[in-house]
Amino acid sequence: MPVSGVVLTCSDGCADAVAARIVDFSGVEVHGVLPEGRIVAVIEAESIDAEVDLVARLHEVDGVVTVRMAYHNFEDLS
Amino acid sequence: MGLSRREFLKASAAAAAFAAAGAPGLSPFRSEAEAADAGVKWGKAPCRFCGTGCGVLVGVKDNRIVATKGDPQAPVNKGLNCIKGYFLSKILYGKDRLTKPLIRKGDKFVEASWDEAMTLIASKFKEAIAKHGPDSVAIYGSGQWTVFEGYAASKLFKGGIGTNNIEPNARLCMASAVTGFMTTFASDEPMGCYDDLDLGDTYFLWGANMAECHPILFSRMIDNRLKNPKVKIIDFGTRHTRTSQMADQYIRFNPQTDLALLNAIAHVIVKEKLYDENFVKNHVVFKKGKEKIGYGLEDKFKFADDPKPMTFDEYKKFLEPYTPEYASKLSGVPAAKIVELARLYADRSRKVNSLWTMGFNQHVRGTWINNLVYNVHLLTGKISRPGENPMSLTGQPSACGTAREVGTFTHRLPADMVVMNPEHRAKAEKIWGIPAGKIPAKPTYNATEMFRALDRGDIKVLWSQVTNPFQSMPNLNRYRRGARKGDGRFVIVSDIYPTRSTELADVILPSASWVEKEGMFGNAERRTHQWFKMVEPPGEARSDLWQIMELAKRLGHGALFPYKYVEKEMFEEYRKFGEGQGKDLAPYEAYTKTRGLRWPYVNGKETLWRYAEGYDPYVKQGEGIKFYKNKADHYKAVIWARPYEPAAESPDKQFPFWLCTGRVLEHWHTGTMTGRVPELKRAYPAAVCEMHPADAKGLGIKHLQKVKISSRRGSIVLPVDLNGRGKAEKGNIFVAFFDETKLINELCIDAYCPISGEPDFKKCAVKIEKA
Repeated sequence: MPVSGVVLTCSDGCADAVAARIVDFSGVEVHGVLPEGRIVAVIEAESIDAEVDLVARLHEVDGVVTVRMAYHNFEDLS
Repeated sequence: MGLSRREFLKASAAAAAFAAAGAPGLSPFRSEAEAADAGVKWGKAPCRFCGTGCGVLVGVKDNRIVATKGDPQAPVNKGLNCIKGYFLSKILYGKDRLTKPLIRKGDKFVEASWDEAMTLIASKFKEAIAKHGPDSVAIYGSGQWTVFEGYAASKLFKGGIGTNNIEPNARLCMASAVTGFMTTFASDEPMGCYDDLDLGDTYFLWGANMAECHPILFSRMIDNRLKNPKVKIIDFGTRHTRTSQMADQYIRFNPQTDLALLNAIAHVIVKEKLYDENFVKNHVVFKKGKEKIGYGLEDKFKFADDPKPMTFDEYKKFLEPYTPEYASKLSGVPAAKIVELARLYADRSRKVNSLWTMGFNQHVRGTWINNLVYNVHLLTGKISRPGENPMSLTGQPSACGTAREVGTFTHRLPADMVVMNPEHRAKAEKIWGIPAGKIPAKPTYNATEMFRALDRGDIKVLWSQVTNPFQSMPNLNRYRRGARKGDGRFVIVSDIYPTRSTELADVILPSASWVEKEGMFGNAERRTHQWFKMVEPPGEARSDLWQIMELAKRLGHGALFPYKYVEKEMFEEYRKFGEGQGKDLAPYEAYTKTRGLRWPYVNGKETLWRYAEGYDPYVKQGEGIKFYKNKADHYKAVIWARPYEPAAESPDKQFPFWLCTGRVLEHWHTGTMTGRVPELKRAYPAAVCEMHPADAKGLGIKHLQKVKISSRRGSIVLPVDLNGRGKAEKGNIFVAFFDETKLINELCIDAYCPISGEPDFKKCAVKIEKA
């Protein structure tokens, strides 16, 4: 089950609302909301497919400006 | 309290994300993160995908990649990768990875040893050369070749076999940018760097969907805007994309009319006297070339420009007809908007940048449109200054580092040199230690002409490496048929997976990929980035470099590669070309230790801004700005008077729509690497036809219904997408070219810019019917 750490950038003043919204996404754990509208989150999914789907959905959330990946571990995929 | 492995990994993920977000101290997980990574060996590499050249840390355990991280020490991306970074995990591990040489026997491919395959290949080369001469053999390479691979290929073909039949797929993406640079500045590649994205405040995007195609660079611009409310992003496009959504203004224009728009902007700047008079006087000359220059549609099409000097007054006269009203009529952009944007370009309180990629380059007047955007920056003096530059963005990871800098084109040698110049040839012959007169003086074929030559039989043997021409060439049907005409033709394809090109080959060679070999790429900001081999390639796969040197040996040219540590010694030899030429590269060792270095690299320092005093070591104190590569024009840049001319094939009654092709975020080019991720296909499963709802309604078509799209060259059936991330404008459709089951390039026209040879993948005429 791959795991990744991502950083979301949000438009001015939207970070808290975005965090509240994405906390409901299955497979997304919000670990922090930083000043300057950045959110640190960890994503887990069954496959890379599902990870990418999830990240693509995060891109589409109102107030999300960018989603970038800091770390990706996929050691248990054969 | 013990944590499971999973919890350790999540801790690592969070810690890395906190660090990349600029708040490492906030991560509570540091020791767990360390534990997670125990046993994993990390090495640095540039990303395998686009020309941004992000730094990646690759984590290897037991000869397998198990993790990747954005490289925190990489200045390009500072610890973060875009969504394509997820697929670095999978490029190497698709189940149908090629692992053995394959030789065609009838309709089938039979496994062979390397010795058998290379013996056969060498014999075909020798036979063709003996019977038909050295110009009957050719190599088609890539902006995804490492520097070593491109250099070895060039040395073998030009310096050993004695033919200029070497072309990269970068002919299809960056050639117009190159000729734009060469005609305006007499030297290739941007004068600015990515720091301009952090330092500027005004960004004009021209036909470039940066949010999807250069996401990390786009993020840097957006981060800038989040911090600085003055920042404006203006998106000039023929279709509405995610970039348009995020821009401050989206300016829709009719395809091809960018030529009129930029001239109109110059017109306003000149008319309202918004230009920098001193800058123009000291740093600019004016020229005009031929007009009505054709479209490269006929085989063996030849064009030579005839530049003539102009005065500033003559240039002003040239601009007179390009009123905002005229440009508005052609383009659909309101005249008042053109005036507003011209004034924005010239605004002295703003640091203005222009950015572009394929909308400008894949254009039958690609050279001209590159000239025209430079014109605006030269008139206003907004160039070679921190935060203020025209920046040509590069698509492939090493179109710059390999294709353009090494010069893997028919007419080129390393470091901006050309085969047509006897001094350049002599210098190359000296460095390569080959007899004088060995390198031929005449260029042969650009990429399109190369495949036409194969079709006609003038080229008999063609070797393709790290690219997929039999999916990506325009007017594709002709070139696919050409490959299989027999009669002495022999096609070799080196790749890592079966593709629409390997299926047409006579021999398929299994290649090593990315970190399965030592390599070097050069990105869009002149940053050359090295990596070491980290994992073994699968089965018997070997690097393309090894394959070229092996052929060289068998053709009696082994002496061209007398190296022990091949990559390092070859690079040190290659460095000699650029030394003292404004193209200086650092010693190899320096690249092994850094996250890339931007050339010219002189006296231990990178150059961030070329041609600028205080930043470029070639510009002396007091010289200010000096375009020092353009000796012929007294070190000034050229403003070219280039007119509007129509596309090769515009919509008409029979074929009433514009077809544009391009990339989408999740798939890289022809999808041979990203397509391997079966999961990826869910996000964007198959090619679709982006269409405007009003056009769909007019045709009686609903969302996701199938349509038949036809041009004069081919047809295809696709579902219509009225609601995708990209939204077509009326009268236009857009189809991506990643889908190997939907070869949209069969419809594209193989018309090209007569100066650059680059085909126009963005404009041809199609009709649409219910399927």
